[in-house]
Amino acid sequence: MKTSFLMPILAIASSLPLSAQPAFAEDLVMLKGDVKVVRTVVEEGKERSMLAAPTDVVPGDKLVFATEYHNTGAKAVENFVVTNPLPAAVRLADTSGGFDVSVDGGKIYGNLASLTVSDDVGSARPAQYSDVTHIRWTLARLAPGERGTLTYTAFVR
Amino acid sequence: MKNAQARIAASALAIATIIAATPAYAAGVAAGTLIENTAQATFDDGTGTTTVNSNTVSVQVDELLDVTIASQDASAVPLNPDTAILTFEITNTGNGPEAYNLTANPTVTGNDFDTTIDEIAYDSNGNGIYDPGVDTVIAQGGATPSIDADNTLTIFVIASSPTGALTDGDTSQVNLLAEAVTGTGPAGTTFAGQGVGGSDAVVGTTNADADTDGSIIFNFTPPPTVTLVKSAAVSDPFGGSEAVPGATVTFTIVATVNGTGSVTGLHVTDAIPADTTYAAGSLTLDAGSLTDASGDDSGIGGASGIDVDLGTVASGNSHTVTFDVTIN
Repeated sequence: MKTSFLMPILAIASSLPLSAQPAFAEDLVMLKGDVKVVRTVVEEGKERSMLAAPTDVVPGDKLVFATEYHNTGAKAVENFVVTNPLPAAVRLADTSGGFDVSVDGGKIYGNLASLTVSDDVGSARPAQYSDVTHIRWTLARLAPGERGTLTYTAFVR
Repeated sequence: MKNAQARIAASALAIATIIAATPAYAAGVAAGTLIENTAQATFDDGTGTTTVNSNTVSVQVDELLDVTIASQDASAVPLNPDTAILTFEITNTGNGPEAYNLTANPTVTGNDFDTTIDEIAYDSNGNGIYDPGVDTVIAQGGATPSIDADNTLTIFVIASSPTGALTDGDTSQVNLLAEAVTGTGPAGTTFAGQGVGGSDAVVGTTNADADTDGSIIFNFTPPPTVTLVKSAAVSDPFGGSEAVPGATVTFTIVATVNGTGSVTGLHVTDAIPADTTYAAGSLTLDAGSLTDASGDDSGIGGASGIDVDLGTVASGNSHTVTFDVTIN
């Protein structure tokens, strides 16, 4: 899917003169990904969660994936949709990040509670966190200079 | 633009890599797996829809050190006759291959008696049964072979009873401890660079060790008993049964072994009564004739008495010895 539409874009790009390039995507909106692991530390007898660099990560650890967006252009953009395929090695931890989820590889998005998946014998069951394959944020408009961070948390399977 | 294309291609590659690694997830993501995340945005800038990708962030899954152990014996293993074979199963609940050091401790609080550990072995032929000389022996404190994540290994501990009398029903426990060779400690302890593929190894919630007890019981078995029943039948020279001089007395001795097990070296002996004379060649065992001479068969007969060697007799069997005497 991705490679099939790559080639025409490549063809257009190479056919354009160099001077026609200033208005391209990364000049308008920057996306910057980050990941941290949730660690529990004990301070003065109290347990507290903190985010740490993702080292010594093992199954069961909770990861926080963040995508920072920044409209660096001079004009607003609309219908700003950020799609994030979940790595297969993680299981979504919660749906509190203001996103819709997909359990079918990104075809249909919605609230987790509204989605079903087929079980082995073909009947539908309610979708669970572990079924989520993609998540998607939708922001109607990004003003010039607007920035923010989109995050989701997931457990290492 | 070329940069954006390169990023799209990189993210497609990352997704493909992760999908290929999927089968290993049964036991938790395999050590060494890379978790890679890329977000993609589309938006309308007034001239059309534009797509941008984030950088790809990557997390390596390190090796989790965990283990469980369980006794496979449904009930206490009886000493038979003075050794017991205990069976345990070790499960690597971590996410990478790991070997475990084994220690069998026969001294457990509450024991009625402590056994001696003769041997620790693993089920190298995988048949679930201890095969002496076939299953590979592991020294006390020695390591198992590497066990893959989510796989199990069957361990046998052979314990023998102590010298000295035991009482029926006495029990003993043997504790088997398995410790990850890479290391143990509180959950979260890390061993830098000692995991799969140079990843770190991280101790899990089991502290990377596990131990459990196997039970042994001493069931007292009483030795078998031997009963002898002797009877006599008289036949006088006149066709009657009067005990008169010249009459023949046939003695019948029935030896019966009862109980559990067998007796060895069982002899039936009898003296010739006073005022009677042994009838030469009259000795029989189970209706078969025996000679009076010693050394040629199991019987000896003569003026000093009879002696029949029954050898080893299992419980539930009986043998009948007869001989005749004449009244002087």
